[in-house]
Amino acid sequence: MKRYILNSFVAAIILFAAACKPEIETPAGTTAGQANFSKYIAVGNSLTSGFADGGLYLEGQKVAYPNLIAAKMASVGGGAFTSPFFTDEHSNGSGYLTLSALVNGTPTLTQVTDKLAYRDAAKHLDKYSGEIQNLGIPGMRVDLSFDPSLTFSAANPYFERLLTDAQVGKTNYFQFIQGRNHTFFSLWLGNNDVLGYATNGAVTVTGDPTTVLTDKVTFSSLYANLLNALTAGGQKGIVATIPDVTAIPYFNTVKPSLLLAAARAANPAAQAVFIQTGTGAVRAATDEDLIRLPFQSAGLFGQGAIPYGLHPLNPIENKWVLDKDEVIKVKDYVNSYNSSIKSLATSKGLAIADTYSYFNQVASIDGINVQGITLKAAFISGGAFSLDGIHLTPRGNAVIANVFIDAINAKYGSTVPSVDITQYRGVKFPDK
Amino acid sequence: MKKILFSVLLSAPLWVLGQGFQVNLQGQKQIGMAGAGSALALDEASVFYNPGAVTFLEKNSVSAGVNPLLFKSAFKQSGSNITENVKNKIAPPFEFYAVWGPKSNKWKLGLGVYSPFGGLVDWGDNWSGKYALTSLNLKAIYFQPTLSIKITDRIGIGAGFVYNHGDVNLQRALPVNYPDGRSGHVTLDGTGKGYGWNAGLYIKTLSNISFALVHKSKVITKLDGGTADFTVPQSLAGSFPPGNTFSAELPLPATTSLGVGIPLSKSTVLAFDASWVQWHIYKDLSFDYATNTPALVDTKSARNYHDGSSFKLGINHQASEKLALRAGVGYAFSPVQDGYVTPEAPDADRYILSAGLGYAPTRHFEVNASFFFEDVKSRKQKNIETGLDGTFKTLVYAPGISLTYKW
Repeated sequence: MKRYILNSFVAAIILFAAACKPEIETPAGTTAGQANFSKYIAVGNSLTSGFADGGLYLEGQKVAYPNLIAAKMASVGGGAFTSPFFTDEHSNGSGYLTLSALVNGTPTLTQVTDKLAYRDAAKHLDKYSGEIQNLGIPGMRVDLSFDPSLTFSAANPYFERLLTDAQVGKTNYFQFIQGRNHTFFSLWLGNNDVLGYATNGAVTVTGDPTTVLTDKVTFSSLYANLLNALTAGGQKGIVATIPDVTAIPYFNTVKPSLLLAAARAANPAAQAVFIQTGTGAVRAATDEDLIRLPFQSAGLFGQGAIPYGLHPLNPIENKWVLDKDEVIKVKDYVNSYNSSIKSLATSKGLAIADTYSYFNQVASIDGINVQGITLKAAFISGGAFSLDGIHLTPRGNAVIANVFIDAINAKYGSTVPSVDITQYRGVKFPDK
Repeated sequence: MKKILFSVLLSAPLWVLGQGFQVNLQGQKQIGMAGAGSALALDEASVFYNPGAVTFLEKNSVSAGVNPLLFKSAFKQSGSNITENVKNKIAPPFEFYAVWGPKSNKWKLGLGVYSPFGGLVDWGDNWSGKYALTSLNLKAIYFQPTLSIKITDRIGIGAGFVYNHGDVNLQRALPVNYPDGRSGHVTLDGTGKGYGWNAGLYIKTLSNISFALVHKSKVITKLDGGTADFTVPQSLAGSFPPGNTFSAELPLPATTSLGVGIPLSKSTVLAFDASWVQWHIYKDLSFDYATNTPALVDTKSARNYHDGSSFKLGINHQASEKLALRAGVGYAFSPVQDGYVTPEAPDADRYILSAGLGYAPTRHFEVNASFFFEDVKSRKQKNIETGLDGTFKTLVYAPGISLTYKW
């Protein structure tokens, strides 16, 4: 009998204790502070749209950083957040790159060609109509937001798909983002004002406005116009600085030293990798000269009677290279744009997500440790950048969402909860 | 009734660890007194608490007990509004003791089998710290043959040799993703052994106030040939070769305790123990893989523990010839410095509360039960190595029961 009493005593204790979970009280998710998140709009480019792996597709759209932020705003008065998602039937959107093989560290990238969302042979994308709050458009720039010719709205398929037939060719982004009755906004724009130039090897193609390097003063005045429009009703919001475009994997994977090592493996007599610089001069390359990622799969290197890139008479063409002087120029423009962004935002009392500083940490040798993950800027293995070497993985989007959320909370006294980045993937590795 | 209890045990949460990985559950009577009692010749558990007191036990005895421990830890990532809890797991620390010696002689032999260190935490495979740890199951089982000798009628000394059998199973997710988005996983599983000793001095003064000085040595537990099982996408198999093994070393710290026993009346005794746990030897957790690749290098994770300490006060009241009542309070200082708190040992300073009772239906037979509660303080931390940033809070509940036969 005594045993039974003891046994039931112990059983009761276990049941009691099992019900007594430890509690952790924090203020997260309790207040919007001085901000009003009831209607959030996100203004920006490909990064805002969820573009990844060289394409815009449904999986990327769903984890775009504004969508992750909006989901977290829900607990502090945030409303619905609508995005121009592709349908499930056309979920692969524009198509995108996958890592189909990785043999001895050499990746093979393959373009996805099924479930695409092209509605005609001219590669126009499925139209999306209805309310949109994720206003990110791949390729959008500060200067082209004010495109006076209004032609960019027809030329850019990602913009075109969001417009009615009556609007196509008759509007620009600055007009498009207005009149949306928002209470809060994010603005991460300007990357392409320098990236388009840089990813073309610092060569501006005549007649291609996406390869122009936007003038610094022009940038500042147009950015001010954007902010004026977005805060016309006294709305609060957040802007983001532009990452150093020379630090992304797109420019740091195919290195001259690696090319030379590969050339020497085939021909020990190879002396140097030769490039044509922006000034037209031909010289041996060093790792201070950045070669664009697509050069790896361009099939040019070492080809021809005079081996391409290995002889001064057949150097790697200027368009493939951001030479060290061009790197300095590009960095200078990024810094100038960022100081404009920061001073304009400060004068308007807006929050600033300093993605420039954050990505510099990611690009440092040791990377950055977050929740047990080491994020680096390395191509494929770094985890932050997708297979195009420019845009973010879902994990990269989650990390950036937290940079925005932290800045919003710090500025407005809100407690938007942070995103659990461990729920978001890096690059998908083939299981074969 | 027994069946009901069994099913409750299986469905209930559980688990372990004291300061760091120390488990303070080695004898039902002492547990009821918050773990104090090194200066009391209470029972055969003195083999652990103070080998010097063993020779003062009046009878020969054997006992076996179990203390299913409910380790309820929670984590909230900094800035998050989601609290995550460890899964409910059962891994009861147990203890077995035997003490024998010729009656009215100056010496006694003892044997103790107990688990002074351990840890079972299972955060699940998809929690926000999964890339730091998903689960740890660590068991150290000490086997301790002991000799205790009465030097005078009031002074006893004793010493035991310690053999440790250690098991460790450590798992975490790897931040590499399969085509379906799920993460890789690694399981490190191994068995190790180590040696040490346990010695104590027991002094009973003329006023019947007793003192104890006990030192339990460090036990460096070495694991060799443990399996390192990496589950990764096939294209990364070259970086994480199958069939790999590892070796590692887990230093279990020495503990020096000073105890005082004060009889308040003929039936009531007070016990106080102060312990100094020399955790400073736990500098790092290193894994040396048999096969290394550029992606799989040997790891050396800094732990940099400080020494920990604890202070425990307990009372034992013999309410009647058959019934004893016990209670205790204590406080322990964590050995884990800021920046080194990990989900495998989400440690912080803690309060201890306990209660116990003993019942002896016959001269030969005794049942003891205890309830042990620890409130580990909430601790907001950002781990230096992993960047895991958040608040841990832990409550520990440990009911226990033991059976003793004396002759």
